[in-house]
Amino acid sequence: MTLLKPLLWMSMGLLMGACAAPRYDPIVEDLSVLARPSERIPTSGAQATDVSAPVVAPVTLSPQAKQHQAATTTAVVTAQPIATQIKAEAKSAPQEPSNQSVVITQPAAVPDAPLPESDQAVVEQLLAEADQLKAQGKVTQAVIQLQRAQRIAPREPKVYARLAALQLSLGEASRAEQLSLKGLTLVPNQQNYQYYFWKLIAASRSHLGNVSGEAEAIGEAAKYK
Amino acid sequence: MKSKSKAVQGWVPWLLLMKLATVLMVLGVLALVYLDAQIRHRFEGHRWSLPAKVYARPLELFSGQQLAQGQLDYELTQLGYRWVKQARAPGQVQKTDRGIAIYTRGFRFADGDQQGQLVEVSMQYNKVISLHRATGQTTSLLRLEPQLVGGIYPSHNEDRELIQLDDLPNGFIETLLAVEDHQYYSHYGVSPTGIARAMWANMKAGAVVQGGSTLTQQLVKNFYLTDRQTLWRKLIEAPMALLLNVHYSKDEVLEVYLNEVFVGQAGKRALHGFGLASRFYFGQPVGELKLHQVALLVGLVKGPSYYNPQKHPKRATKRRNIVLSILAKRGLISNAQKLNYQGLPLDLSEASQVSRYPAYMDVVRQQLQQHYPASALSSHGLRIFTSLDPWVQNQADKAMIDQIKKLNKRYGDMPELQGALVVSHRDSGELLALVGDNNGGYAGHNWALDPSRQVGSLLKPVVHLAALETGRFSPASIIDDGPVSLPQSDGSLWQPQNYDRKSHGKVPMYEALAKSYNQANVRLGMQIGVDAVLLQLKKLGIEQSIPAYPSVFLGAVEMSPLQVNQIYQTIAGHGFYSPLSLVRQVTKANGQLLSHFPFAVRQAASSASVYMLQQEMYKVATEGTAKGVYRYLPKHQQVAAKTGTTNDQRDSWFSGFSGQHVATVWLGNEDAKPTPLTGASGALNIWGQLVKKLAYTPYEDIKPQAVEYYYLNTITGRAIPKGCSNGVWLPMPQNLAPTYSIMCGY
Repeated sequence: MTLLKPLLWMSMGLLMGACAAPRYDPIVEDLSVLARPSERIPTSGAQATDVSAPVVAPVTLSPQAKQHQAATTTAVVTAQPIATQIKAEAKSAPQEPSNQSVVITQPAAVPDAPLPESDQAVVEQLLAEADQLKAQGKVTQAVIQLQRAQRIAPREPKVYARLAALQLSLGEASRAEQLSLKGLTLVPNQQNYQYYFWKLIAASRSHLGNVSGEAEAIGEAAKYK
Repeated sequence: MKSKSKAVQGWVPWLLLMKLATVLMVLGVLALVYLDAQIRHRFEGHRWSLPAKVYARPLELFSGQQLAQGQLDYELTQLGYRWVKQARAPGQVQKTDRGIAIYTRGFRFADGDQQGQLVEVSMQYNKVISLHRATGQTTSLLRLEPQLVGGIYPSHNEDRELIQLDDLPNGFIETLLAVEDHQYYSHYGVSPTGIARAMWANMKAGAVVQGGSTLTQQLVKNFYLTDRQTLWRKLIEAPMALLLNVHYSKDEVLEVYLNEVFVGQAGKRALHGFGLASRFYFGQPVGELKLHQVALLVGLVKGPSYYNPQKHPKRATKRRNIVLSILAKRGLISNAQKLNYQGLPLDLSEASQVSRYPAYMDVVRQQLQQHYPASALSSHGLRIFTSLDPWVQNQADKAMIDQIKKLNKRYGDMPELQGALVVSHRDSGELLALVGDNNGGYAGHNWALDPSRQVGSLLKPVVHLAALETGRFSPASIIDDGPVSLPQSDGSLWQPQNYDRKSHGKVPMYEALAKSYNQANVRLGMQIGVDAVLLQLKKLGIEQSIPAYPSVFLGAVEMSPLQVNQIYQTIAGHGFYSPLSLVRQVTKANGQLLSHFPFAVRQAASSASVYMLQQEMYKVATEGTAKGVYRYLPKHQQVAAKTGTTNDQRDSWFSGFSGQHVATVWLGNEDAKPTPLTGASGALNIWGQLVKKLAYTPYEDIKPQAVEYYYLNTITGRAIPKGCSNGVWLPMPQNLAPTYSIMCGY
């Protein structure tokens, strides 16, 4: 009996020790959990990234957000990805899956026309870097590089041409069409660019199944050939 | 019997004692086992919750780039760069004949690692002329590392920046050990001789003047135990230190100590570790510190609040100098070196270390919370790259504070007056700065997102755009500014008047906008219909549903400054809507990209209509209600703008754009009571001061082919000879091309 008592104590102690909760939070869940698209709100405004992660969507204020504001005094900003709206308008567009991986149904043809060299060396450098990244399959990085160029030279049509072409090759035809339309506003007197952008628009509309729009774009392109 | 019972009596306590001792021993062993498990668990697991780091946009320098006066100096100061005679290491800058030479620090960007490099930037009148590497080659682009502008902290508000032993500058460890625990590498986690010495010293002094704790014990105290001075804590501190010493190498324990040590408090935020301490007090990475700075940080350990160098510079200097003396006494530096270092200033960072951008950070946080759980944001050390432009933000804060001060002087104290300012990049739609209240943002409410206040005349450009989009109007179209009277659904009449209570007869459309004539604008609106205006508003990026009343023509619509800026953003962006955005990328702590926001646009109006509207809006600034901006700006700087004043002057608005920036200002009383301010006498001043301080690159509008300029007699609507003095150059669409007249007046 005298020997049993300490043993009893020991087992109790062991039990207590084993049950004692650690004082601090242990390792928190791996962030890769976050990257699982199925657990996240699908954001179709997303550009697929290398890790198929959630994508931060732009800030716009929606009516719901306003209600939130009223209720909580701290304002809430809701994301409203632009692509949702764009897609809603282009009803004929093939619906893309909401997960983040890029689905290229049919790589639409990007016109193969030479574009004049930018007079800003920095633009040419960033475009070259983007080309290189794209060639390595790092498409997201290429887009980031092109957006860097766009911030530095926001009125350089070549940047829009590359951005649009890249989006088209990713199957983001609607985005490519709009970027080309924006590019067009920069080049009312540059035939080679007008040709290039209209060709891109035609290819984008073809991808979206917009037959009459495609025909119109082809007609426009022909004017500048 | 007696003797036996004696023997039994003697035997029983002995047996009891033995039992008790065994139990205690077992308990002790068990306690040790438990402590051991706890020590290993915490030490080897996820040691800290790391707050997400939020970065501003990095400054990109390239040839031809125009910077604002004072901008580069400001940016370098904010980044903690030090001016030296010759830049030899990252974090240093020097003046050169042609400009400045910057030795950048390496940085892990979302698009990859960038090495630190030495580049000379040739400048002329704040314009970058060229960039040369140290090797003599020219380069076209230099990207500085981005400023760390904030964090998203866990609920216990602990902030830290992890460092490794290798990150420390020479002399750091030596200084730390000399002051805190000079036998660190030879003791067993506790130091009996250290305790004895401390006791002796304390006895001599009659008070506690020296602690006997080793670094290991200090770590145990901070890392595992609570602050409460309990007996239990005292009892287990030493054994835990011993165990820690058994399990882990001295270097490992030291590294954890470096990151755990408490170094100060900034508001709610508890600052931990020397990595963050260096960033916080000096604005530099710890590796760049000089010995006098190291001595200051090490000296802080004794009492971070008492020796706070920002609040008590004299105390902190004294403490630093004591640390330097200890170094000299231990022979780590010479006496001459000691005197030299003691003579140096504290060299604290000039950049303010309080959260400087609360309104902006507020929106960043809200946006991220939709995509990441709170725990991920506050504990995984995510890196958030935003488009915040520190220079623009700084100037925006200043403009708000300066001008409100002036307005108070001019109109009498307006204690309830609040303000908000939103600034975005014209072509990308990125938010560059947000001011959320009247003092640059220390208090809670973010007025840039909410209040929703009536926007008044700020909506008139939307009416004009909708009109131009019909193809039936041009800036030269004649509109009647006579009195308006519209029956309302309740039978009463709506009779909006002009601000000056006068009618101005028949006026060209551009003038109706420039002078903000209410009667003419309502007439214009009635010709196209409320629905057309609301549809146009939706295309420009306003999602909320708005009741279709004619009062919409005069801006009886409630919006936040952020929403107004979205409208003007789309107009400035040649009619292409891109949602205002502020997060560029999110990466993991190791640099792996998690999210990025691709640039996208959607056409909201034809380029011809937008072009004509922009020309009208230039005239608002040159000859209309926004003329006052040229008190701030040079005549040749073209800006498009609109003023807004709501009923009884409750709100004073101003929104507009220059070549690079779109900005919106709102002023109004918290309780929405009338103010003495109109858009032009209030908000305009803030806008003017801000835009004046931003870099200005001349830029020419690109005229669409569908639009042509004509020299017009605006009364007859005919194109007249250029020699006439009564003509106005106005853009018109081809389908409305005017007829020509050879007479000026007809």
